[in-house]
Amino acid sequence: MSLLDLEDLNDVAIRAAKKVDADDAIALTSRVTDRMIRFANNSVTTANRIEEAELTVYLAHERKRAIASTSNLDTASVRKFVQDLFESMKGLPASEYVPLPGKASKYSPSGVGHDRKIVEVEEELPELAKEAIDASLSAGGKRTAGVIDAGDVSTAILTSTGTSGSDRRASITLNVRAFAERDASGHGLSCSSTLSGFDPASAGRRAGSDAKRMKDAVEPEAGSYDVILSPTVASNIVESMAFAASAFSVDAGTSYLVDKLGKSVASESFNLTDHGTVKGGLGGRVFDDEGTRTRSTPIISDGVLRTYLHNLTTAGKWKTQSTGNAGLVTPHGWNHEVGGGDSSREEMVRETKRGIILTSNWYTRFKNYRTGEFSTVPRDGAFLVEDGQIRRPLKGMRAGDDLQRMFSSVKLLSKEREWIEWWEVDTPTLCPWILVDGVKITRAYE
Amino acid sequence: MRLEEGKALAEGAVSKAVSAGATYAEARLQSGHSREFILKNGESQPSIFSEGYGLGIRVIAKGALGFAATNDMKTGAVGELARRAVKLAEASAPVLKRKISFDDSRAVRKKWAAVEKDRIEGADATWLRGVLLDIETRIADGKAGVKLPGRFLVLWAELEEKYFVSSDGARIEARLPRVGFFGSLTAMEGGSAAQRFMQQGETGGLEVVGRVRLLEKVEEEAKIMGKVLRTATKPPTDTVDVVLSPELSGIAAHESVGHPQEADRVLGREGAQAGESYLKADSLGRKIGSEEANVSDDPTLVHSMGYTPVDDEGVAGKKRRLIKNGVINEFLHNRATAKEFGLASNGAARAVSFDREPIIRMSNTFVEPGDYSTDELIGEVRHGVYFKTFTEWNIDDKRLNQRYVALEAYRIEQGEVKEMVKAPVLEIATPRLWGSVKARSKHMDFEAAVCGKGDPQQGAPVWTGGPETLLAGIKLGAR
Repeated sequence: MSLLDLEDLNDVAIRAAKKVDADDAIALTSRVTDRMIRFANNSVTTANRIEEAELTVYLAHERKRAIASTSNLDTASVRKFVQDLFESMKGLPASEYVPLPGKASKYSPSGVGHDRKIVEVEEELPELAKEAIDASLSAGGKRTAGVIDAGDVSTAILTSTGTSGSDRRASITLNVRAFAERDASGHGLSCSSTLSGFDPASAGRRAGSDAKRMKDAVEPEAGSYDVILSPTVASNIVESMAFAASAFSVDAGTSYLVDKLGKSVASESFNLTDHGTVKGGLGGRVFDDEGTRTRSTPIISDGVLRTYLHNLTTAGKWKTQSTGNAGLVTPHGWNHEVGGGDSSREEMVRETKRGIILTSNWYTRFKNYRTGEFSTVPRDGAFLVEDGQIRRPLKGMRAGDDLQRMFSSVKLLSKEREWIEWWEVDTPTLCPWILVDGVKITRAYE
Repeated sequence: MRLEEGKALAEGAVSKAVSAGATYAEARLQSGHSREFILKNGESQPSIFSEGYGLGIRVIAKGALGFAATNDMKTGAVGELARRAVKLAEASAPVLKRKISFDDSRAVRKKWAAVEKDRIEGADATWLRGVLLDIETRIADGKAGVKLPGRFLVLWAELEEKYFVSSDGARIEARLPRVGFFGSLTAMEGGSAAQRFMQQGETGGLEVVGRVRLLEKVEEEAKIMGKVLRTATKPPTDTVDVVLSPELSGIAAHESVGHPQEADRVLGREGAQAGESYLKADSLGRKIGSEEANVSDDPTLVHSMGYTPVDDEGVAGKKRRLIKNGVINEFLHNRATAKEFGLASNGAARAVSFDREPIIRMSNTFVEPGDYSTDELIGEVRHGVYFKTFTEWNIDDKRLNQRYVALEAYRIEQGEVKEMVKAPVLEIATPRLWGSVKARSKHMDFEAAVCGKGDPQQGAPVWTGGPETLLAGIKLGAR
C-alpha cells in the first residue's frame, strides 16, 4: 500500500463522515513495516517481518465523541465502518468537546528521520546481529542476547475542516545484553534514525565489557547514595516525568505535577523539551492526531514546570492552546530531550564520595503516581564509587525515590548525550548522564 | 473479512511456506474486536472501538525460525509473505548456533469457545458507560466516606477469534470473549494521598460484571482508602509472621514462580528483554520451598482471563504443577523448549494478536489451597502483619529479589486482626519467601492482570491468585 493509498482511504472516511453529518471528523491512516532479528546464547532465535496498515477515525456530533480503528481497509468497508461508528454514538452523552480549528493546515513530510537505507534493510540484519555478538564476546561476554529492530512508519491525516498531509519516520535500534560469570551481565544500546549512525559493534562492546567487570559483584549496604544514572536509566525515569506532564494525567489524578505550573520541579540545571520532529529523533511527526502542527515544547526550563502537554480538549479545559501533543484521548510526548550539562561521567565519578553508577534498569513501578513515589530495579553494570574511585561491581539492589525529590537533587549533567529507545523506554529520549544525590538504595531484607 | 473467509488463506499460506522450503509451517488468522469506555472523574471520554485482523505465519527453515505477519489479506500478498518468512529464516541460518525444532506433540483438531451467557456483542458503548456510571454513583462526592479527586475508570469488552493451521495437521478454531475493568482511584485527606489500582476481568459475556461483583468491589476499595488515610500507623519492623491475601499470594506466585519457570527464560531466549531465570535446566527437582509451598498454572480454569484450553501451537493446555511440596516440579513449555528438554509441550504458547509470535506465557498462576479456614490461619499468628492489597511492586530479571508494598494492611496480635498499618514493605528473596510458607487457607480468589513479555511487547491477560498464605519469621521494611 503506497502513501497515496493512505491518503485515498482518509478521503473515503471523511466523505462518509460528512455524509452522516458529523460535526467534526478526523481520519488518520498509518502503515508500519517492522523487521526484527532476535538472538540469544550467541545464536539467532527468530527473524520477523510485520506489515500493517490501520485507519483511525474520530467523529464528533452534538458534543458526543467516538474514536475507532480498523484494519479492514477496502473502500466499502471503510464507508460502512464510519456509518456504524456514527450510529453507535447515538446513545452516548455529550462529553468534553472542543471543535477542530476552522483554519486548515497542509503538511508535507518533515524531511528528518526517514533514511531509505533503513527502509530497505532486512537481509543484512543477521550480519548486523553478528557484529554485535562478536564485539560483545571480544570484550569479555560469554553469551549474548539481543534484538535489532528496523522500523518505518508512514502516517497521513485528513480532517473535516480540510487539514491534510503526511509524514514518515524510520529508525533502527539494537538492545544487547552480555552475560559472563553467574549474575554478571552488561547492557548496550544503539538507537539511530540513520543506518550510518547505527553502531552494533559499539553497543556489543559496551555490554561485553560491563559483563566482564561485573564478575564477583556483591550486594551493597542499604542506605542513601549519590547515584550516577546512565542515559538508559535516566531516560526511563524521565519518561515517567513526561507522563506526569500530560494534562490528562494531571486531570486523572495520576500526576505528581498537579498545581506545579510555574513552580520548581527540578534543579535549575535541568531542562526537558518535547520535540514533534527533531534531527536525529527516532519518533514523532509534523502533525499530531488532531491535525495540530507539532512543535518543540519546553516542559521544564531551568527547573521550572512551564507547561503541561495538551491536545485540543485538555487545552480547552485549561483555557490554553494545544501544544501539538494529541493523542485523541491522552496528550503525550513525541521525542524527549534532556538538556546536556558541562560535566562528564568521569567528572561525576571524581565528584562522588559515596555513590553508585547504574547503567541499566527495569521494572519501574509507582506506589502512588499522585505523590510520585516509585522504585526501580537496576540490572547489568552497577558499580560502587567511593572517594572519586570506582571500587567494585554491585548487584541485588533496588533504587527508590519520589520524582520531585529526585529531579530537585540533580547535581551534574554530562555534555555527552545519547538517543535511547528500548524495552523500558517507549518515547525516544536524547539524554545525558545525570548525577543525583541522596537516592535510597535497598536490598532484600531476607 | 470474517474468520470463515480467511481459512483458505491460512491453509494456502502453510502450503506456500512448505513449498518454499519450510520443514514446518503454521498460520494463525486472528481477529480482535474491542469496545472501551472511560470515565474520568465522572466525565465521559470518547467511546473507543477497534476491529483488527490479520495473518501470522511462522516457519522453520534450515533449522531457523521465521515469522511474518500482515493484515493485507489479498491471496497474492499472503503467499508472498509466506515465501518471505521462509527466506527470513534461511537468511539467519549463518548466525544460528543451535537449530530449532519442535517436539512430537499430538496435533489437535478442535473448535472451542469460552463459556459465555450474555453474548459479548451486546457490550456497546451505552452498556459500558452504564456500568461505569453505576460505579460513579457509589464512590463520587464522598459517598464512599472519602474524597476521591482522581477517579479513572475503564471498562472494556473484547472478542478474540482465531483459526490456526499447521503443517503437522493441527486445526484450531477459537472464540474468546472477555470483559475487563481497570480503575485508578486517588483519595486525598488532610494533605495525604492514597492510590489504588484495580484490575478485574474474566472470559465470558456481559454477565462477567455481576459475577466478579465489580460495583461492590470498587466501592469497598474506595472505603478502604479512607481508612488507610485516617487510621494506618507505622508497621512493625521486627521479625513477624506475614499473612498474604489471595491478591498478594497471586502476585508472588506470578512474579517469583511463574516467570522463572518459563522454559524460554531458563534457556536464555528472553535474555535481552524480560531477562533470564535464577533457575537452570537442571533445577528440576531442586528444593526451593517448604512442604507447604505449592504453586500451579492452569489454563483450563473456566471463566479465567488466561483461559487457553488449546495453545497457539495447537497443543492442548493442561494444569502445570510448578512447585510441588517445595520442589521445582515443572517448567512452562512450548514445542521448541519441550524438545530441548526431551519432554512434550504442556501447552503454554500464546500470541496476543496476529502480528506477534507465540511465546511461552503463564495463564492463571496461583498458590494451591490448603486446609485452614481464614480465621484459623490468622489464629496461628502471634505477632504479624496481614498484607491485603498492594500498590508498588517489582522484581529483578532473574526473579530472585522482589518487593511488594501494601496499601491495605493490618497488624495481627495473638491471632486477632488489629489496626491498619501504613505501607509495610515485603522485600525478600524468592527461596526465602517460599521457604517460609507455613500454612495455606482453603479460601481461593483471583485477580485479573496483564502480563508483559516479548519483543515486540505482548500484554497477555492472566489471572493471579491463591488462598491466604502464612509466611513465618519475616523481616519487613516501611516506605
